[in-house]
Amino acid sequence: MPAHPFRPGVLLTAFALLATACSGSSATSPSPSASAAPSVAASVAPSKGPATVPPGGPVEIRWYCCLGGGEAPAQKKVEDQVVKDFNASHPNIHVTFEVVTYEGNVSNEQLATELQAGNGPDVVGPVGIGGANAFKGQWLDLAPLITKNNYDLSGFPQSVVDIYKLDEGQVGIPFAIYPSALFYRKSAFEEAGLNEPPHKYGEKYKKADGTEVDWTYDVAREIAKKLTVDTNNKDATQADFNPKKISQWGFELQRDDLRGTGAYFGAGSLSSGPDGKSVQIPDAWVAGWKYMYQSIWTDHIDMTGPQFESKDINPNDYPFFNKKLAMSENFLWSTYGLPAVDDWDMAAIPAYNGTQTSVLNADTFRILKSTKHPDEAFEFLTYLLGDASEALLTTYGGFPARTADQASGIAALQKQFKNQVDWQVAVDGADHPDNPNFESWMPAYNESLSLVGSGGKYLTRWTTMPGLDMDQEISKLKAELQGIWNKAH
Amino acid sequence: MAAIPLQRVKRPATGRRFLRRPSLGRTPLARREARWGLIFLSPWIVGFFAFTFLPMMASLAFSLTNLTLAQEEPLQFVGIRNYDAMLHDTQVWESIGNTLRFAAFNLPIAIVIPFVVALVLSSPSLRASGLFRTLFFLPYVIPFVSGVLAWQGMLNIETGWVDGVLRLIGVQDPPNWLQDPSLVYPSLIFIGLWGIGAGVIVNLAGLRAVPTELYDAVHIDGGGYWSSLRNVTLPLMSPVIFYSLILGIVDVLQYFLVPLVLYNGSGEPGGTTLFFNLLLYKTAFGYQNFAYGSAMAWLLFAMTLAITLLVFRSARRWVFYAGER
Repeated sequence: MPAHPFRPGVLLTAFALLATACSGSSATSPSPSASAAPSVAASVAPSKGPATVPPGGPVEIRWYCCLGGGEAPAQKKVEDQVVKDFNASHPNIHVTFEVVTYEGNVSNEQLATELQAGNGPDVVGPVGIGGANAFKGQWLDLAPLITKNNYDLSGFPQSVVDIYKLDEGQVGIPFAIYPSALFYRKSAFEEAGLNEPPHKYGEKYKKADGTEVDWTYDVAREIAKKLTVDTNNKDATQADFNPKKISQWGFELQRDDLRGTGAYFGAGSLSSGPDGKSVQIPDAWVAGWKYMYQSIWTDHIDMTGPQFESKDINPNDYPFFNKKLAMSENFLWSTYGLPAVDDWDMAAIPAYNGTQTSVLNADTFRILKSTKHPDEAFEFLTYLLGDASEALLTTYGGFPARTADQASGIAALQKQFKNQVDWQVAVDGADHPDNPNFESWMPAYNESLSLVGSGGKYLTRWTTMPGLDMDQEISKLKAELQGIWNKAH
Repeated sequence: MAAIPLQRVKRPATGRRFLRRPSLGRTPLARREARWGLIFLSPWIVGFFAFTFLPMMASLAFSLTNLTLAQEEPLQFVGIRNYDAMLHDTQVWESIGNTLRFAAFNLPIAIVIPFVVALVLSSPSLRASGLFRTLFFLPYVIPFVSGVLAWQGMLNIETGWVDGVLRLIGVQDPPNWLQDPSLVYPSLIFIGLWGIGAGVIVNLAGLRAVPTELYDAVHIDGGGYWSSLRNVTLPLMSPVIFYSLILGIVDVLQYFLVPLVLYNGSGEPGGTTLFFNLLLYKTAFGYQNFAYGSAMAWLLFAMTLAITLLVFRSARRWVFYAGER
């Protein structure tokens, strides 16, 4: 027997450790040469696959969903069909569709893990501006593939194309835009004896007594009190109204992301200063956050956190879907939950300080820089943006970014509903976007989201704790955020 | 096969006596047995090596680098920079404080309650003990996430039945179990009791192994129930309690799932649920800072090891092994 029986084992272990450490880092650290590789590959590989199955079998492409939307059962059905149709018509490529829930940030964290392990998918989406910012530096510059395939971008407004033109290159091609609107239930207004909110931007609101006033958040608050009703049918303006037994709330603000909640009161960005590393909270956002807090805890026109989280009150993502609300500010993608609400329509977003802001989401599909098959991924991407776009846009509730498709897009959206909807409100909303977009890049993006993003600390805190001093809270948020940014640099 | 006789071996250096089998390595039979033993063990060894040891070593290597997903700076060896940064990171210390505070509340309860339940279930005067055993074990077979979500619904201040019952009996403002910082730890502990089934089973098995002759002896000596408990049950159950304590320490230092599901890892209310393991997870996978997350993982490992070793050291004073001389 050898004198040192474990010596080969030790050597093997050391080798394996080194191999593991090296493979992990090299696969995930996009050094300049690594990041350039896909573009190089893209420029030499053929742009279109053969019509028949290649000798080695079809190229495997993984489509990863869902960094924000696309996981609802009805949407998955459409997405599955899209993949089936693509696979049937493209024998050289085989696409696998992977759905990971966005709930609890699971899809985000799983994608990070896959990328770190060198096992990332090829195509990701639908993904919005914020979802993509969480993976800054990981997206493939599509410019060489666009040029090589003569992909026509002239059908899109240049301003929308430019949304995806970053320092990393042209990381996306426009697909869907989701302007915001004020969704409301006509029957709730009728029961309260109120006139419906204005549909046109700049139009005044006609009060019950016939007087016309500017359509502002203050006016929205007043009518929301009338629309907030308890189980004894008393509204929030009446002395004997019981806020502990509310059966219908008047006005729900969009609360997925505090930046978005603020942006409805005016566009802005947290990032300021010459290097963008100083936290500056826009005044309009401060006003929006205070408005939300007062709506929840003082006026009771908006749901508390526990009410919003309760599956008894809100079983389907948003309480407007369950007819628990009279008015709800939300994006156009929220129409996926509206077929059950038979009397809804859209109105203009109220004004703050004379400005109406229809906060914008924009989704598309992107290719990851780590893909081994950029050409095939691009072929699938263009299928999603082309042949499959109508079906996908309809199920996502999105407006086509391609101008020529917008009329047919509206018709397809309308087909889902029995009630006639004024889609022009959303079209007009696209002319009042938040610029800069609320999801714009900020330092230490992912860690900053733990404070202001979906399910973040301050949103949770403000929707669950009454009696807070909001000025103090906002100062604390600012200081904490600055601390994160300082640490990141 | 005949049993190999035990030999007494005296170690002159310490003077302590040991029982040791004679060397097995030299006979063909022993070598064959050892070979087969290794073959049967090899799936575990390979699994351990591939899925535990190598990732651990990789994380140790990562912790000495600046590895992030974005990798804005070139990947480089940074020595103990991440460990040094942890020393000055208030969030790390706050999360360690939260974890230790929660452990101080949770650990005694997680040890005592399964033991007491097992005592009751093993009582000869309990009727339908099989039914109760099943009922106590049943929640354990339900996926814990489902259980947590069910508890989230039950403890909801607006629509949960716990506060609903309190309102029915006249409590005007029932507690906000999951959002009041002063109530959140009791609530989390309460939710944790949902999964005590496995602990109860371990304690029940331990109780069954206590020789009944010892209880008879106590009775003959005039001792009652408490005397039996103090002089027989507790000493003979001490290895089981020790085992539960070690597992409990490891579990509570890695406490993660419930606050992640209930609060989405936000640390609310008031930062009380930002436990160390949760911060570690968020740092590595949420903020995509794998190097710092790896360093945190090694700090957690070191803390767990240190506390476990302390408990092992204390075991000499209070754990009684019946076969020990």
